[in-house]
Amino acid sequence: MDLLPSADQQELVAAAAEFFAEQVPISAVRERRADPAAIAPKVWAEGALLGLLGLAADVAVGGSGRPLDDEALLFRELGRALVPGPFLGSVIGARLAALSGAADLAGFVIEGHTLVAPALLRVDDDVATVADGVLTGRIRLLDPAGAEYALVVTDDGAGLVATAALTDLAPVESSDPGTRMGTARAEAVPVTCWVPATQDPIALRGAVLAAAQLVGIAEATRDLSTAHAKTRIQFGRPIGVNQAIKHRCADMAVSAEAALQQTLFAAVSLRSGRADAEFQVRAAKVVAGRAAITNAAETIQVHGGMGYTYEHDAHLYLKRAHVVDQLFGSRTAQLAPLLAQEAAQ
Amino acid sequence: MDLDFSPEQLLFRDEVRTWLAENAPSEPRPHGAAPMREYDLAWQRTQWEGGWAGIAWPTEYGGRGLTTLQQLIWYEEYARKGMPSIDACFVGLNHAGPTLITRASEEQKAHHLPRILRGEVVWCQGFSEPEAGSDLASLATRGEIDGDDIVVTGQKVWTSFADLADHQELLVRTDRSDRKHHGITWVIADMHSPGIDVRPIETIDGGAEFCEVFYDEVRIPLANVVGEVDKGWAVAMSTLSFERGTAYTAGQVRLAALVENLIELARERTGPDGRRPAIADDEISRRLATCRAEVASLRAMTYAGICRNLASDAPGPEGSIIKLYYSDIAKQVARLAMDVLGPDGLEFVSRWVPGGWSGHYFYSYSASIGGGTSEIQRNIIGDRVLGLPR
Repeated sequence: MDLLPSADQQELVAAAAEFFAEQVPISAVRERRADPAAIAPKVWAEGALLGLLGLAADVAVGGSGRPLDDEALLFRELGRALVPGPFLGSVIGARLAALSGAADLAGFVIEGHTLVAPALLRVDDDVATVADGVLTGRIRLLDPAGAEYALVVTDDGAGLVATAALTDLAPVESSDPGTRMGTARAEAVPVTCWVPATQDPIALRGAVLAAAQLVGIAEATRDLSTAHAKTRIQFGRPIGVNQAIKHRCADMAVSAEAALQQTLFAAVSLRSGRADAEFQVRAAKVVAGRAAITNAAETIQVHGGMGYTYEHDAHLYLKRAHVVDQLFGSRTAQLAPLLAQEAAQ
Repeated sequence: MDLDFSPEQLLFRDEVRTWLAENAPSEPRPHGAAPMREYDLAWQRTQWEGGWAGIAWPTEYGGRGLTTLQQLIWYEEYARKGMPSIDACFVGLNHAGPTLITRASEEQKAHHLPRILRGEVVWCQGFSEPEAGSDLASLATRGEIDGDDIVVTGQKVWTSFADLADHQELLVRTDRSDRKHHGITWVIADMHSPGIDVRPIETIDGGAEFCEVFYDEVRIPLANVVGEVDKGWAVAMSTLSFERGTAYTAGQVRLAALVENLIELARERTGPDGRRPAIADDEISRRLATCRAEVASLRAMTYAGICRNLASDAPGPEGSIIKLYYSDIAKQVARLAMDVLGPDGLEFVSRWVPGGWSGHYFYSYSASIGGGTSEIQRNIIGDRVLGLPR
């Protein structure tokens, strides 16, 4: 048994983190505020070249064939660096394509040529459904700019729909400046690359990666708050000497650690086919979602007036945390199915 | 990364399971303090005879010389079997033992460690004082060196099992100059020494083991000092990091089992609406699911902590993260049990009796106080893990 990232994994993740720091600094989120795509197409292509979209995909479709825990560690870095762009949709989309025999499509996604935007199947009170291989209803698209496909996930499975087949495409203002959003209508649009949940636990895989991204957000905000507590002077002393601040930071450290370890435990459980994998993944999504949102919220408070400004990063973390929380089952939506599971192994 | 146990570890698990099935005590744990002592020691003796005492302790002192991973396997199987916690033996096995292993002289180790493992002695802890709680280093119980002895005068408090213990890990002040952390000595006290007066303290859960201890010119041989005179603070800190680190492994496993018992209870008992089972209540079901997620993550943290432990000898300040999280969850679970029981929870049932949720609920309030309050854990995390200014 070993739950500590190996030297190999740390090296791999460090390379990705370096790329994000150089190519997608958080300031870019503000600079691209008016651009149709939250991430520059050039950076997306370079990231794909680096192998970010195919880390855990089969070598046969152009992936690197690494295990799910490697990919989880990568998504932790995506969260930590607040990297925009439809990574989660594309990585899961490529897997659906590969699993359903569409090797070419999987390859295009992994190479960065074809983008897959995650879809949320609810707009206002309208809930979209998949039945008899077609999607019907209104959907919400995340980062639809340039996306050829939308990723559709239900309790029964997951698949792709061509965005060109959707109607009433309309951009809506997104709460998160780093995530573009649009709504659309699907009138019996065929779902392709459909993979039933019984064939592959694709939604659980997505939940692991989303949880990992949330872990990164929880850690980054813990670090932002801690750094501020060390340097911000009030009453002649750093504010971190006060327990009201120090204890907030300590609580953030606890939440982030719980989220990290549970997410890695879940990733390994799912990868190795443990009988309680679903239990572990749902638990991870709950604790990681809560850690990310709470830590980001506390970061605003620790920063006082500065934390309430658009210029500061705190709100960007909070807003992204809410977006990722909604993907692959929110922390609230996970509770009932978690309680319905058998006890952990 | 992997969660796989090796064939040897799986075999070890099978052996533990088989042995527990054949040797676990069938009679329930008694309530009174003295019978509890006898019960706990007898059970410890049985474990020793079966070769299961001190799984991760060095072989030269009677241990098995295995790792904390095998110790974890033991705890998991132990909890799965619903076995009693080892209260009277806790301090010996989880504080004094590990502290002696890392800090004591060969003579001290050779004398004390096998006795702990064989279930011959009960240890208690003499750290807190009426005026030295969270601020432990301000302790004032005096230790005057007189010839080959330290003569101890003062008072300790919150000492579990002091009235039944044979030995005590005792902190005394041997130097009263201004340097607070200097001048503390960690010494082994014989609880049967003349001049020691133990008075029981009643607790909110009806527990019988809490005490205060008075020392009136108690003579303790200097040979009982662990580490050096005046340099006991570092020894005490290693004791506390064991308490906050590995000692919670067993508690974590028990807590996970408790949550599953509680879910079972919520399926069986009528809920707040007086019609449906408690688990059908929205708030209760959400809190149960949240507890499940939290104990799962507590376990993942424990596993990761054990992996870190295998890479280095002594637990670091990260143990405080687990201790703080554990305390929070333990209290939440116990309070949820009261809400599941509803009016039936108003009946007091000792935590030693099956279904003793109300006794357990009151006991849970000790989780965020004993072993360093949650506020102190947050200070440690802030200062030593995050590096915040003091």
